[in-house]
Amino acid sequence: MPFWRVSEVREPYSILVAGVGGQGNLVCGRIISEATMKQGLRPIVGDTFGASRRGGSVVTHIRIGTRDWGPLIPRGKANIILGLEPVEALRTALRFAGKDTIAIVSMMPVPPSNVTSGNVRYPDLADIKKALESICQQVYMLDTEPVMKKLGSTRVLNSYMIGAFSALDDMPLDSKYLRQAILDLLESEMDLTAFNEGTQSLL
Amino acid sequence: MSGNEAIARGALEAGIGFCASYPGTPSTEIAMNLFEVAVDQGIHVEWSTNEKVAMEVTAAASWAGVPALCSMKSLGLNVASDFLLNLNLSGSGKGGLVIVVCDDPKGHSSSNEQDSRFYAKAAKIPLLEPSNHQDAKDITKEAFRISRKYEVPVLVRSTTRLSHSRGLVQVGNVSSRTRKTIGLHEKLYNIPSPHIRHRELLEKMERVAEEYEESGFNQVKSTERAKLLVISSGISSLYSQEAIQAFESENISHMNLGTTNPLPRKRIKQLLEESERVLFVEENDPFLEEAIRSLSVELKKAPEFFGKMTGHIPSYGEMNTDVVLDALLKLLGKDRKRIEEQARNFEDLLIERPLTFCAGCTHRNFYWSIRTVKKRLGGKLIVSGDIGCYSLGVFYDEAMDTMHAMGSGIGIGSGLGKLQRFGFDSKVVSVAGDSTFFHACMPGLINARHKNADLTFAILDNATTAMTGYQVHPGSKIQDENLQRVQIEKLVRAIDPDFFAIGDATDIKSMISLLYSTVQKNGLKVLLLNSVCRLEEVKRKPGFIGAIPVIIDQGLCRREKCMICAADFGCPALVWDSNTNYPVVLAHVCVQCGACIAVCPHNAILEGE
Repeated sequence: MPFWRVSEVREPYSILVAGVGGQGNLVCGRIISEATMKQGLRPIVGDTFGASRRGGSVVTHIRIGTRDWGPLIPRGKANIILGLEPVEALRTALRFAGKDTIAIVSMMPVPPSNVTSGNVRYPDLADIKKALESICQQVYMLDTEPVMKKLGSTRVLNSYMIGAFSALDDMPLDSKYLRQAILDLLESEMDLTAFNEGTQSLL
Repeated sequence: MSGNEAIARGALEAGIGFCASYPGTPSTEIAMNLFEVAVDQGIHVEWSTNEKVAMEVTAAASWAGVPALCSMKSLGLNVASDFLLNLNLSGSGKGGLVIVVCDDPKGHSSSNEQDSRFYAKAAKIPLLEPSNHQDAKDITKEAFRISRKYEVPVLVRSTTRLSHSRGLVQVGNVSSRTRKTIGLHEKLYNIPSPHIRHRELLEKMERVAEEYEESGFNQVKSTERAKLLVISSGISSLYSQEAIQAFESENISHMNLGTTNPLPRKRIKQLLEESERVLFVEENDPFLEEAIRSLSVELKKAPEFFGKMTGHIPSYGEMNTDVVLDALLKLLGKDRKRIEEQARNFEDLLIERPLTFCAGCTHRNFYWSIRTVKKRLGGKLIVSGDIGCYSLGVFYDEAMDTMHAMGSGIGIGSGLGKLQRFGFDSKVVSVAGDSTFFHACMPGLINARHKNADLTFAILDNATTAMTGYQVHPGSKIQDENLQRVQIEKLVRAIDPDFFAIGDATDIKSMISLLYSTVQKNGLKVLLLNSVCRLEEVKRKPGFIGAIPVIIDQGLCRREKCMICAADFGCPALVWDSNTNYPVVLAHVCVQCGACIAVCPHNAILEGE
């Protein structure tokens, strides 16, 4: 029997994970879809990863429902944007965010090659935040750098962000299934700690 | 599971014994999945030299009674099509042969956005299009049933968004059918009377069409007093469903077709008779739209048709729910508060994220060397490129001038190398990788030799199929058991170029002088440049890095007056620190290859400890 944690959540529930190659986007998609299945719901996960190994953007679309939905979220229809990288969060928000969207964004930039080469300047995070706020219902900019330092690796950023997501009120997935999915798929204490830290990050 | 996994699973449930493929996004994971179970299931799985060979070896298996799967990307079917348009007439024998082609609308990982369904029409073979993940498994199994029954190859067509998305699939049992070879049919050729074979094929297709009329892979969801009928195929069915649901009160019917060649004509005609307006939603070209429009001349009264041919659906790029929503809005005369893309307001914040070569990639060293040589020649150097990681050369200061099909670099070079008498005065360098060399470069290279074309052919040999995930190919240094390495060097020497040398792509200085002296020689020159894929290296030896750590000598560095290392060379490990105005080596990205030492004109990059 499918179980929606919050009865007023409407189908499909759409989550976007925005980042760059190497940040664990695809793992995020796997964890959320695993939790969705544990809850008796149907996930569809669409990945865009053509050139991820070579510095490109990676976007994962997750649709949750009682039936199969298209693997791409329509314009403005994302319920959640999990931004693993500020500029990538904004890039996806401009197309997929709307007045119902909640964006949870890591403030730790992964500068593209044109920035690291000194040819282009990375935009101010305050400007990115302002832009996101003008589009979304709510924006959480998370200061993830000190947490990742404390945890010892930026590799657990995805688990931390899923922890933050799990703490939202109006979302259909039960936190315990997300936690279990992290344990099942990653088998890592560090990821579980990151998840737990993440659950406190929106306070 | 992903669409590709589901296709592989369907093939296992159908009892395949043989699979051949050439890697290409978005199709690669189909054969990769079968590789994983090859030993357990007793299946022969191979990465063939190219897609045509893959189709030939699988046809041989099918003729001998072993069910065979042949998977490839869209452009691969172009390579294999010559054989396909003969095989269709000969038939695929008793084993069953299913060809899976994965198209790539919008060319996420391709140089075009071709619609491969037209090959099914050209070859007059059955075509099936899965519309979701469950379908991907089930339709592959069905394709084997059809192929075995009618002894024709069957084409299954997926697209990127199905192949690379994941959904729930209910699996069946893997077939435990024994796979023993049987004697081949007589006359596995079509001469002297191919027209007789053609007639037989058409008769087969009529029987397939008859069977398709009842196929469960064609689904109709009709609404009473429907104003509009949406006809879709493939992953577009999910987009259509979602868009139709947004107009719940509007009575829209939906027909999704899984058997798209030959079409279930009776069933479609029946539905068209009841419809006033029809909208087509399909990936790539108006394949169904054209076929169904032409079929409608047999109707007493044809409905109005809308789709790519009327501009209601864009004729290029990828389908998604928004495309269908917009078309429905237009057709229903509705206003929707459109959420315009808001990019315009924030354009300056959206910095681009260009693709780059990995840290330490020797392809960067090569293009850096090419750029240096080109400058020395006053710009008179043309580079005809090819398909692989090194295609990123088009983004590297446009170091690559042409890039088309697999093997086209040397073919184009062979043409450019014969233009001197018409006044063409640039040196020509053709580039190809090792896997591409085996795939399609031999005829072009032999042509260049035979015709005495004046060019330099640089083979960037990193001994793996790097772009698609390090698949083994004939030249790979490390071969699986039972595979015999074929050495590029021996092949090239046998062709007898006017000049041949082996270079080291990890050493920029020597590569520049080798390239500079070579391009100025006359005739056909071939350089085999030993290259390294750093990703593959790390995959083989986790944690591996090179032996040459570098440091910046801040006393010698000319800082923002120069910036060549960070701004021009562009290694992700050598970045500009805009606070200090010095370049910095990122220890966690650097693979300690030492290539950048040669790049600094002021000798400020030094070997460290």
